[in-house]
Amino acid sequence: MHPDEPSAADSPFEVADEVDEVALAAVMRHVPLGAGVLAGAAVALLVLGYLLIYLLVFLPRGTVG
Amino acid sequence: MSERQPEMHERRILGTELLWSFGVGVLIAATLSIIVFTALTMGINPPSNVERIDPKALHLSGEFAEHNLGTSVAADGSVTARIIATQFMFVPRCIALPHGRPVTLRFAAPDVIHGILITGTNVNTMVVPGFVAQVHTQFTRSGDLLMPCHEYCGLGHSEMWATVQVLPEGAFQPDRDGRVSCAQR
Repeated sequence: MHPDEPSAADSPFEVADEVDEVALAAVMRHVPLGAGVLAGAAVALLVLGYLLIYLLVFLPRGTVG
Repeated sequence: MSERQPEMHERRILGTELLWSFGVGVLIAATLSIIVFTALTMGINPPSNVERIDPKALHLSGEFAEHNLGTSVAADGSVTARIIATQFMFVPRCIALPHGRPVTLRFAAPDVIHGILITGTNVNTMVVPGFVAQVHTQFTRSGDLLMPCHEYCGLGHSEMWATVQVLPEGAFQPDRDGRVSCAQR
Protein backbone atom coordinates (compact mmCIF):
# COMPACT_ATOMS: atom_id res chain seq x y z
CA MET A 1 0.00 0.00 0.00
CA HIS A 2 1.36 3.44 -0.96
CA PRO A 3 1.89 5.75 2.04
CA ASP A 4 -0.24 8.49 0.46
CA GLU A 5 -3.11 6.18 -0.27
CA PRO A 6 -6.03 6.88 2.11
CA SER A 7 -6.80 4.15 4.55
CA ALA A 8 -10.21 2.59 4.84
CA ALA A 9 -10.02 3.44 8.52
CA ASP A 10 -10.24 7.14 7.59
CA SER A 11 -13.86 6.62 6.63
CA PRO A 12 -16.26 6.42 9.56
CA PHE A 13 -18.46 4.10 7.48
CA GLU A 14 -15.71 1.53 7.27
CA VAL A 15 -14.73 1.69 10.91
CA ALA A 16 -17.96 0.98 12.69
CA ASP A 17 -21.39 -0.05 11.58
CA GLU A 18 -24.47 1.34 13.21
CA VAL A 19 -24.96 -0.59 16.42
CA ASP A 20 -28.37 -2.08 16.84
CA GLU A 21 -28.71 -1.64 20.59
CA VAL A 22 -31.61 -4.10 20.85
CA ALA A 23 -29.69 -6.81 19.04
CA LEU A 24 -26.60 -6.03 21.14
CA ALA A 25 -28.59 -6.33 24.34
CA ALA A 26 -29.97 -9.68 23.19
CA VAL A 27 -26.47 -10.97 22.42
CA MET A 28 -25.02 -9.67 25.67
CA ARG A 29 -27.68 -11.52 27.64
CA HIS A 30 -26.25 -14.82 26.35
CA VAL A 31 -22.53 -14.11 26.00
CA PRO A 32 -21.56 -14.60 29.67
CA LEU A 33 -23.55 -17.83 29.84
CA GLY A 34 -21.94 -19.20 26.66
CA ALA A 35 -18.46 -18.27 27.85
CA GLY A 36 -19.18 -19.89 31.20
CA VAL A 37 -20.43 -23.10 29.61
CA LEU A 38 -17.42 -23.32 27.27
CA ALA A 39 -14.82 -22.59 29.94
CA GLY A 40 -16.67 -24.74 32.48
CA ALA A 41 -16.75 -27.71 30.12
CA ALA A 42 -13.04 -27.34 29.35
CA VAL A 43 -12.08 -27.11 33.03
CA ALA A 44 -14.44 -29.96 33.96
CA LEU A 45 -12.73 -32.22 31.39
CA LEU A 46 -9.32 -31.22 32.74
CA VAL A 47 -10.33 -31.94 36.34
CA LEU A 48 -11.93 -35.23 35.31
CA GLY A 49 -8.67 -36.27 33.59
CA TYR A 50 -6.68 -35.29 36.68
CA LEU A 51 -8.96 -37.26 39.00
CA LEU A 52 -8.97 -40.35 36.75
CA ILE A 53 -5.16 -40.41 36.55
CA TYR A 54 -4.87 -39.70 40.28
CA LEU A 55 -7.29 -42.45 41.31
CA LEU A 56 -6.58 -45.08 38.66
CA VAL A 57 -2.83 -44.62 38.06
CA PHE A 58 -1.13 -42.65 40.83
CA LEU A 59 -2.69 -44.16 43.96
CA PRO A 60 -2.47 -47.85 42.85
CA ARG A 61 1.28 -47.36 42.26
CA GLY A 62 1.83 -47.27 46.00
CA THR A 63 3.02 -44.84 48.59
CA VAL A 64 6.11 -42.73 48.20
CA GLY A 65 7.74 -40.21 50.44
CA MET B 1 -31.72 2.82 23.89
CA SER B 2 -30.91 4.09 27.35
CA GLU B 3 -27.37 5.03 28.36
CA ARG B 4 -27.52 2.55 31.25
CA GLN B 5 -27.48 -0.43 28.90
CA PRO B 6 -23.63 -0.79 28.77
CA GLU B 7 -23.51 -0.47 32.52
CA MET B 8 -25.93 -3.39 32.84
CA HIS B 9 -23.80 -5.49 30.48
CA GLU B 10 -20.73 -4.75 32.51
CA ARG B 11 -22.49 -5.68 35.72
CA ARG B 12 -23.64 -8.98 34.24
CA ILE B 13 -20.15 -9.79 32.96
CA LEU B 14 -18.67 -8.86 36.33
CA GLY B 15 -21.15 -11.17 38.04
CA THR B 16 -20.16 -14.03 35.73
CA GLU B 17 -16.47 -13.40 36.35
CA LEU B 18 -16.97 -13.37 40.10
CA LEU B 19 -18.91 -16.62 39.88
CA TRP B 20 -16.10 -18.12 37.77
CA SER B 21 -13.48 -16.95 40.24
CA PHE B 22 -15.43 -18.58 43.05
CA GLY B 23 -15.68 -21.85 41.08
CA VAL B 24 -11.96 -21.87 40.29
CA GLY B 25 -11.21 -21.11 43.95
CA VAL B 26 -13.30 -24.12 44.99
CA LEU B 27 -11.46 -26.35 42.47
CA ILE B 28 -8.02 -25.21 43.64
CA ALA B 29 -9.04 -25.74 47.28
CA ALA B 30 -10.37 -29.24 46.44
CA THR B 31 -7.15 -30.18 44.60
CA LEU B 32 -4.95 -28.94 47.44
CA SER B 33 -7.17 -30.78 49.94
CA ILE B 34 -6.69 -34.05 48.03
CA ILE B 35 -2.90 -33.56 48.08
CA VAL B 36 -2.83 -32.72 51.81
CA PHE B 37 -5.26 -35.56 52.64
CA THR B 38 -3.18 -38.21 50.84
CA ALA B 39 0.01 -36.79 52.37
CA LEU B 40 -1.39 -37.03 55.90
CA THR B 41 -3.36 -40.28 55.68
CA MET B 42 -1.41 -42.33 53.14
CA GLY B 43 2.07 -40.86 53.49
CA ILE B 44 2.28 -39.86 49.84
CA ASN B 45 4.48 -36.83 49.31
CA PRO B 46 7.54 -35.83 47.30
CA PRO B 47 10.70 -37.50 48.66
CA SER B 48 12.63 -35.00 50.70
CA ASN B 49 15.92 -35.69 52.45
CA VAL B 50 18.80 -33.35 53.03
CA GLU B 51 21.73 -35.47 54.12
CA ARG B 52 25.27 -34.72 53.12
CA ILE B 53 27.92 -37.28 52.23
CA ASP B 54 31.44 -36.94 50.88
CA PRO B 55 31.24 -38.12 47.23
CA LYS B 56 35.03 -38.64 47.02
CA ALA B 57 35.05 -41.20 49.86
CA LEU B 58 31.88 -43.21 49.15
CA HIS B 59 33.74 -46.45 48.44
CA LEU B 60 36.24 -46.18 51.28
CA SER B 61 34.15 -46.75 54.36
CA GLY B 62 30.76 -46.16 55.86
CA GLU B 63 27.31 -46.74 54.58
CA PHE B 64 28.06 -46.88 50.86
CA ALA B 65 31.19 -49.07 51.01
CA GLU B 66 30.95 -52.00 48.62
CA HIS B 67 30.20 -54.67 51.23
CA ASN B 68 27.26 -52.64 52.47
CA LEU B 69 25.51 -52.12 49.13
CA GLY B 70 22.29 -53.89 48.21
CA THR B 71 19.36 -54.85 50.40
CA SER B 72 19.63 -55.46 54.10
CA VAL B 73 17.04 -56.25 56.76
CA ALA B 74 17.72 -54.73 60.17
CA ALA B 75 17.02 -56.44 63.48
CA ASP B 76 13.75 -54.52 63.79
CA GLY B 77 12.66 -55.89 60.39
CA SER B 78 13.06 -52.64 58.46
CA VAL B 79 14.25 -53.10 54.88
CA THR B 80 16.83 -50.72 53.40
CA ALA B 81 18.49 -50.84 49.99
CA ARG B 82 21.68 -48.88 49.41
CA ILE B 83 22.62 -48.20 45.82
CA ILE B 84 25.41 -46.23 44.17
CA ALA B 85 24.61 -44.52 40.90
CA THR B 86 27.76 -43.96 38.90
CA GLN B 87 28.73 -43.44 35.26
CA PHE B 88 27.30 -45.66 33.75
CA MET B 89 25.87 -48.26 36.06
CA PHE B 90 24.09 -48.89 39.30
CA VAL B 91 25.82 -50.90 42.01
CA PRO B 92 24.36 -53.43 42.54
CA ARG B 93 22.75 -54.06 39.15
CA CYS B 94 19.85 -55.95 40.73
CA ILE B 95 18.05 -55.03 43.95
CA ALA B 96 15.78 -57.51 45.73
CA LEU B 97 12.92 -55.97 47.69
CA PRO B 98 9.77 -57.36 49.32
CA HIS B 99 6.21 -56.93 48.12
CA GLY B 100 3.72 -55.16 50.39
CA ARG B 101 6.21 -54.04 53.03
CA PRO B 102 7.64 -50.56 53.71
CA VAL B 103 11.13 -50.21 52.26
CA THR B 104 13.70 -47.43 52.24
CA LEU B 105 15.86 -46.79 49.18
CA ARG B 106 19.05 -44.81 49.67
CA PHE B 107 21.14 -43.59 46.75
CA ALA B 108 24.46 -41.81 46.47
CA ALA B 109 26.54 -40.72 43.47
CA PRO B 110 30.33 -40.21 43.36
CA ASP B 111 30.55 -38.41 40.02
CA VAL B 112 27.74 -36.47 38.33
CA ILE B 113 24.01 -35.90 38.78
CA HIS B 114 21.93 -38.99 38.06
CA GLY B 115 18.22 -39.66 38.46
CA ILE B 116 16.21 -42.80 39.00
CA LEU B 117 12.68 -44.01 38.58
CA ILE B 118 11.21 -47.45 39.05
CA THR B 119 8.77 -48.27 36.30
CA GLY B 120 5.16 -48.78 37.35
CA THR B 121 5.69 -47.14 40.74
CA ASN B 122 5.80 -43.59 42.09
CA VAL B 123 9.50 -43.88 42.99
CA ASN B 124 11.34 -41.06 41.27
CA THR B 125 14.23 -38.97 42.54
CA MET B 126 17.41 -37.19 41.57
CA VAL B 127 20.75 -38.49 42.83
CA VAL B 128 23.08 -35.55 43.41
CA PRO B 129 26.76 -36.01 44.35
CA GLY B 130 27.30 -34.88 47.94
CA PHE B 131 23.81 -35.82 49.10
CA VAL B 132 21.99 -39.04 49.98
CA ALA B 133 18.73 -39.39 48.04
CA GLN B 134 16.21 -41.30 50.11
CA VAL B 135 12.80 -42.65 49.09
CA HIS B 136 10.33 -44.57 51.24
CA THR B 137 7.87 -46.75 49.40
CA GLN B 138 5.85 -49.95 49.43
CA PHE B 139 5.57 -52.07 46.30
CA THR B 140 2.04 -53.06 45.37
CA ARG B 141 2.98 -55.81 42.91
CA SER B 142 5.79 -58.29 42.58
CA GLY B 143 7.98 -58.94 39.55
CA ASP B 144 11.02 -57.49 37.84
CA LEU B 145 10.84 -53.73 37.45
CA LEU B 146 13.21 -51.64 35.37
CA MET B 147 15.12 -48.85 37.09
CA PRO B 148 16.78 -46.62 34.48
CA CYS B 149 18.81 -43.47 35.02
CA HIS B 150 16.55 -40.64 33.88
CA GLU B 151 18.98 -37.75 34.12
CA TYR B 152 21.43 -37.46 31.22
CA CYS B 153 24.79 -38.28 32.78
CA GLY B 154 27.12 -38.76 29.81
CA LEU B 155 27.64 -40.81 26.67
CA GLY B 156 26.75 -44.12 28.33
CA HIS B 157 23.57 -42.78 29.95
CA SER B 158 21.25 -44.97 27.88
CA GLU B 159 23.08 -48.09 29.11
CA MET B 160 22.63 -47.17 32.76
CA TRP B 161 19.83 -49.18 34.30
CA ALA B 162 19.21 -51.74 37.02
CA THR B 163 16.51 -54.22 37.90
CA VAL B 164 14.36 -54.09 41.00
CA GLN B 165 13.21 -57.59 41.81
CA VAL B 166 10.08 -57.33 43.93
CA LEU B 167 9.70 -60.67 45.70
CA PRO B 168 6.58 -62.09 47.35
CA GLU B 169 6.85 -62.12 51.15
CA GLY B 170 7.63 -65.86 51.22
CA ALA B 171 10.48 -65.55 48.73
CA PHE B 172 12.09 -62.59 50.48
CA GLN B 173 14.44 -64.44 52.81
CA PRO B 174 17.41 -62.60 54.35
CA ASP B 175 20.58 -64.61 55.05
CA ARG B 176 22.33 -64.77 58.43
CA ASP B 177 23.73 -61.26 57.94
CA GLY B 178 20.34 -59.87 57.05
CA ARG B 179 21.30 -59.47 53.37
CA VAL B 180 18.98 -60.28 50.49
CA SER B 181 20.16 -60.80 46.92
CA CYS B 182 18.25 -61.18 43.69
CA ALA B 183 17.03 -64.67 42.92
CA GLN B 184 18.99 -66.28 40.09
CA ARG B 185 16.68 -67.21 37.22
